[in-house]
Amino acid sequence: MDFLFDYISVNTFWTILFLAHALLAVALLGALTHQAMAVLLPVRQVIGDAGFVTRFRAVRGAGYATAVCVLWIATFVLGGWIYAKYRIYVRIPIEQEGFWKTQGVFELKEHVATIGLGLLPIYWYFWKNARAVEYDSPRKWVTVTLAGLCWYSFLVGHILNNVRGFGS
Amino acid sequence: MSTTTVTSSARTRSALASSSAFRTFATVFAIAAPVLYVIFEMANWPLFTYHPATNKFDLGWAPSVRDQGPAMHWYGWTLGTLLGSAVLGLIATRLPESTTRRIPLALVWATALAAIPILIYGLRFYWRWE
Repeated sequence: MDFLFDYISVNTFWTILFLAHALLAVALLGALTHQAMAVLLPVRQVIGDAGFVTRFRAVRGAGYATAVCVLWIATFVLGGWIYAKYRIYVRIPIEQEGFWKTQGVFELKEHVATIGLGLLPIYWYFWKNARAVEYDSPRKWVTVTLAGLCWYSFLVGHILNNVRGFGS
Repeated sequence: MSTTTVTSSARTRSALASSSAFRTFATVFAIAAPVLYVIFEMANWPLFTYHPATNKFDLGWAPSVRDQGPAMHWYGWTLGTLLGSAVLGLIATRLPESTTRRIPLALVWATALAAIPILIYGLRFYWRWE
């Protein structure tokens, strides 16, 4: 990795890594939210012009499954990589300032990310068998669970960046 | 990427999606992962400890070393969870399908959700007003 630092500064490297993590998280959040809406409020039949909400939930969820798994793993790996720097340069100042609840919600984010990782194989299997009626209910609730975990992680990551983000 | 590679990759995905052994593996993996993670986290049993300031690893749990920065255990809990769940999933594929089909599929998401309040309780040190 050291050869990279001949071309870019250490700060630039970590900034690029962090932005990649954030952009992957945005893509993951979008895909999972579409899918969760599609299973919670499925569109049966559209009469007349479909509005924004109807179009939002009218996606074919099965097409998102592999992308969601790849995005979760990629976001997880980048997050895990950045986490080592976070532990030294972000968490210690947060503790020194006494922002305990902020630190607590981040600790929960790391747990949530791992719990979500464990759900990915069965989530993928359920969606690859989207026509199997026996999987309708677990497919729906696994998807909604993953979407909830993703929303929590995304918002907490955003809050932490607000507390001690770029340039601090 | 050649056409052959793409076709072969699609065939592998299709074979996995129709495999009852993969279904059993994924079901047991999903149920075991939150259980193992909660156990490893609450008992503080990481597979290894990482010291980010010095880039050193210790097998199992290790404390922070004075003047050498913090110790990180999350990587060790996560790896332990993934390996442990994979082993249990593989063992389950050896069981008769009539047995594994009896595992309620609702457990895959219910176990994950049930782990959350326990993990929140485990973080009680942080939930203070001061």
